[in-house]
Amino acid sequence: MSVNTEIEEILRNNLLKLEDVYACMVARKGMEGIVLIEEKGQELRDVWVSLEKTMNQFFSIIKAYSIYGLNKIYFELGKFDVIFFILPETDTALVALIPALANRGLLEVELENTREKIIEILKRENTL
Amino acid sequence: MSPELKVAVGMSRKWDAYEAGREVARDTLDRLGKKPDFFLLFCTIHYRDHGGFKKFLKGIWEVLPEGTSLVGGTVTGFINPRGCFIRGAVAIAASSPEMDVSVGCGKNTKRNPEKAAKDCTGMIEKGLANSKHSERFLLNLVSGSMAIKIPGYGYRKVIDSSLISKSISRTVSISQYMLQRGFGREDEVFERVVKKLPDYHMILGTCIGSFKGITNYQFFNDSIMTNSIVALGMATDMNLDVCTTHGMKRTDIKFEITKLSKDSHIIKEINGKPAVPELYRLLNWPKNFLNEENIYERILYYPISLVKHGREVPVVMPFIFKDYLGIPCRADKGEAWIMTVSGKNLLKALEDNLNSFSSMQPEFGLFSACITILQALGNNVRKIREILLKYFKDKPFLMLFCAGEGTYSPKMGLSYANMSYNTAMFGYNRNEVKL
Repeated sequence: MSVNTEIEEILRNNLLKLEDVYACMVARKGMEGIVLIEEKGQELRDVWVSLEKTMNQFFSIIKAYSIYGLNKIYFELGKFDVIFFILPETDTALVALIPALANRGLLEVELENTREKIIEILKRENTL
Repeated sequence: MSPELKVAVGMSRKWDAYEAGREVARDTLDRLGKKPDFFLLFCTIHYRDHGGFKKFLKGIWEVLPEGTSLVGGTVTGFINPRGCFIRGAVAIAASSPEMDVSVGCGKNTKRNPEKAAKDCTGMIEKGLANSKHSERFLLNLVSGSMAIKIPGYGYRKVIDSSLISKSISRTVSISQYMLQRGFGREDEVFERVVKKLPDYHMILGTCIGSFKGITNYQFFNDSIMTNSIVALGMATDMNLDVCTTHGMKRTDIKFEITKLSKDSHIIKEINGKPAVPELYRLLNWPKNFLNEENIYERILYYPISLVKHGREVPVVMPFIFKDYLGIPCRADKGEAWIMTVSGKNLLKALEDNLNSFSSMQPEFGLFSACITILQALGNNVRKIREILLKYFKDKPFLMLFCAGEGTYSPKMGLSYANMSYNTAMFGYNRNEVKL
């Protein structure tokens, strides 16, 4: 199984099957991300496409703050919240799109589990 | 220390209810390596929609030896030595020649807490009547609050209509009796259990499904129950003790509860004024700060202090009925404070809790903690696991996230709270442990 397929499976099992995760991806600067999205309407798709397009700009911010231990970033986009979990000291991020006012605290627990699994895979493959 | 005591925690992260049931049972038994004396089973609500709890228990009983004593229920998450999870199934099982166990259940906890407690404790007493072991322990799992369905509104936590709110305050007891919806009454069940078994050490966990509070389930052997108490009674020669801690501090925002509903679950007035507008004034909140969507994101961080059984405990206010505040346990009139906590103090409260067992060499630990701790800490909940791993080393533990929790010991009395850690620690006196 390729690394991408393995990560895709983890994203699907750990995150996308949860009721409150609409879309998620593992994005790496300058590279195509691993993206999974629920069929939840055009507005969600539009937001997600914008996110994908601007990912590289986010990485500039991530890089600037990573020396201070940047761990996660939130922002609210009307009906949606976006959560970035940064893979420590890398240019890789786990991104999830969730409904606004979803229980972020609970979802973070599974995002953390997913982040740890992805780190494990990337370390094993020496791609981190 | 008995070398024959075996305790194991197993788990499954499978989505399918039947497969998860089989896996959690198999994993636990493999780790235990013996026939269990008891099997405590917990899972998140997801399995209701991924095969259902019947299939979940079918999977369990295809693996678990016939006749094993099983109790459990739904929780919002759990921490065990392997991680922190808000989805999955987990079990803790034990086997020891110096332990007798008995399970009990009582139905209709919202309708008749007295009878439910009596039925449950009766089964426990009967089951342990001939045990020669001196220490007694009881794990209580009680169905939690369930949102009331308002015609035309659906399941609601916040009601804006004055007319409906007044109607709810008058009819909530009827809803509890007829529909078994509304406040869980777990505090009342627990008080009655304590009265019937005053020599036991106890821990309470209130079962919850999702944050929406629509339903929750209890497991009793091969039965799936709702609105019930299920309990595990244990007689043992091990040392055991319980402890409740919370990291809450009083703020300087003090008020007086001046009017309550008949069942004392609804605070109608504080400082002689309608409760909700007065709370807004005290907290300097803008008008309409709380609504159906955001209430749990906001109000759960502002618990009030109530003096229950001579102890100051934090209690959350998860329901707003226009001008009234609904709380999960019964309140008394009199002084109260808004409380506050930091993430740092939440972690310290757990360390303080564990430090209270300094004379004991732990063999295993059971915890019920408030779901709001999980919500507040988010992914930093892993720090709780780190503290537990450091304390227990290679010994098993299980922390369950519930919707109301408590402990009782003959020495310390009863404690029911929200936003707290509640521990049942099993082990041996450090002075008697041979290294």
